[in-house]
Amino acid sequence: MSSEDRIRALENEGILSTDQARLLSESFESFEAAETRPEGTPWPRRAPYIAAAVAVGAVLAYLIFPWGGDPVSDGAIQDVTRSLNQPGGYGEMNKSVSGILGVLVLLIVPLIAWVWLHNNLVSKEERVFEAWAQTESNFQRRADLIPVLIETVSRYLRHETETLQAVTGKRSEGTAALGKAIDDLAAAQKATTELLKGKGPGLLDEDATLRDLLAAQTRVGSGISAIVAIAEQYPELRSSDQFLQLQAQLEGTENRINVARMRFNAAVKEYNGAIRRMPGSLVARAGNFRRKAYFQSDAEARRAPDFKIP
Amino acid sequence: MPRTSRSRRPLILLAVLCLGLAACDEAPLVADGAGLMSAEQKDRLALFHGFLLKDHDIDYRVVTGRDLGDINVFAAERFAALKIGQPGRSGRGLLLVIDAKADLVRLEVSSNLEGVYPDAFVAYVEHRQMVPFFGAGRIADGILATTELIVTRAQRAKANAGFDGEAWHGGSGGGGATAKAGIGAGVDPGFRKNGTGIAAGRTPGETLAQYFRAMARRNAAPDLDIYTPATQRMLRRWVVTPAQMDNLVRAYRRCGASETRFGPDGRRAVIRYGLKERQCAPFFFLRNADGWALDLTVMQNLIRFGRDNSWHFVARAANPYAFAFTDWRIDRRGYPRARKQR
Repeated sequence: MSSEDRIRALENEGILSTDQARLLSESFESFEAAETRPEGTPWPRRAPYIAAAVAVGAVLAYLIFPWGGDPVSDGAIQDVTRSLNQPGGYGEMNKSVSGILGVLVLLIVPLIAWVWLHNNLVSKEERVFEAWAQTESNFQRRADLIPVLIETVSRYLRHETETLQAVTGKRSEGTAALGKAIDDLAAAQKATTELLKGKGPGLLDEDATLRDLLAAQTRVGSGISAIVAIAEQYPELRSSDQFLQLQAQLEGTENRINVARMRFNAAVKEYNGAIRRMPGSLVARAGNFRRKAYFQSDAEARRAPDFKIP
Repeated sequence: MPRTSRSRRPLILLAVLCLGLAACDEAPLVADGAGLMSAEQKDRLALFHGFLLKDHDIDYRVVTGRDLGDINVFAAERFAALKIGQPGRSGRGLLLVIDAKADLVRLEVSSNLEGVYPDAFVAYVEHRQMVPFFGAGRIADGILATTELIVTRAQRAKANAGFDGEAWHGGSGGGGATAKAGIGAGVDPGFRKNGTGIAAGRTPGETLAQYFRAMARRNAAPDLDIYTPATQRMLRRWVVTPAQMDNLVRAYRRCGASETRFGPDGRRAVIRYGLKERQCAPFFFLRNADGWALDLTVMQNLIRFGRDNSWHFVARAANPYAFAFTDWRIDRRGYPRARKQR
């Protein structure tokens, strides 16, 4: 069953309100939108080799059309002794070859260095994008688990409530707490949706947006923790293999997000350092390489949600 | 002896240096920084993990220590630093980290093994197989018992669709699970239930059905009527984990038809499976006043399992249940074979 179908089923059973179902569904759309970029708007494009092409053209022009004219074009007899090496000195021929080689060294070496630096920056930037894609896919993975968690806990609570009502006539407190936790979770997912909406790769250039996204995802983690905490009040549910498996998946996803975030920040650090250091900064400026934002944790995010079995 | 030409000497020196560096770089399969295992236990673990590497190309390392910091971060970083499942092989790797001070255990799984060992499976083997042994202070046994389940799953993956993601994915992406290790915390008495409803059968087949029923209910009580008194005494000292019980039920569900063979004195019986069912070991029974009881003590002494989980007898050991296997040939290593037709 897909996450979308599961949300619809939970809505039909009255476990999720229409609003909660809509907010959770929208969060899937936002991840899909972020992952599939419309054709024609890929990751930043640049015109990297314009400067390099001009330089290559200049070198070729120099080699094909040598400056200073042709010394034998007026029909005079060429004095080859000027071209030949004389004892203790160099002839004209060697001087012109040396000149060409000199120009080649002066132009080609910086050109090669430029291309190498540019490619190096491209590789580093690609590593940043790749690390971000990994982080996003882990957010998606977590979002997929939310309906499963809600379904598992709510079904158990429904059974528990029915038993409790039959015996004591009281309603389970867990049901009300679960409703509130789902509200918080849906709101956090909505915040994520809005932050990702319409953002392409530009997202990685904005410190504030990434900070807000992290805060929203931390709230999602807290929402999941709240639901797990409700479940842990029921020893039968807590010790069941099914819940153990779900808990393992949640913990695993949380850990993957942390690992992906660490690797993303390491990739950003390497890239940002490369575009600020000389001579990479010159290439970065010409190639429109922009500083990337860190996906840094604030004090709240540093407290990773804890789903451990006590 | 021919002299080495001057031009080749640097190359030879470089090769020797590279070989030396490679040898130095080779991290051990078991690095027991916390001193939780004896040298013999470490060697045994390394031997079995070596088999796993050889048979399934799964590089399974064990690292123990004290105060390792965040065990999840430590495992991810150590996985990368040790280049577990390094390129050149298939990139398949596992890393077991035990932090003795924090009392935590984590099994980190390489990205391309996540399909074979998903987080839920890893959490299951940790909680239901490894931790009960750790509770009894048997660290190496807990790891080895888990390796058995890992091997079984690898065999199944190989036999079915094969391993996913053969390409190198750059180590682990944080897959796996962490659990409280509970080292020396004692064995969970929750699985030692009472014997209500489990009684010795009037036939060996009935007793075996009762045994499977007890295992399916995860009932590890040692004093059930289905066991001989010697077996009951042995089970009281044993660690029987939920995963072992689940695995036994699952394994025998796949076994084909069985046959019962009685001894000449009518006191002993054997239920055995076909020769092709290499992973279905026979069961031994002893008759007492209440009915037929499982003689797990003799089974424990006589039957062993190989690397591929196929059973065999301990070679040249005296077998009071040999009457049931006279139509088979037992080879020098104790493996049962079909007799050649004359």
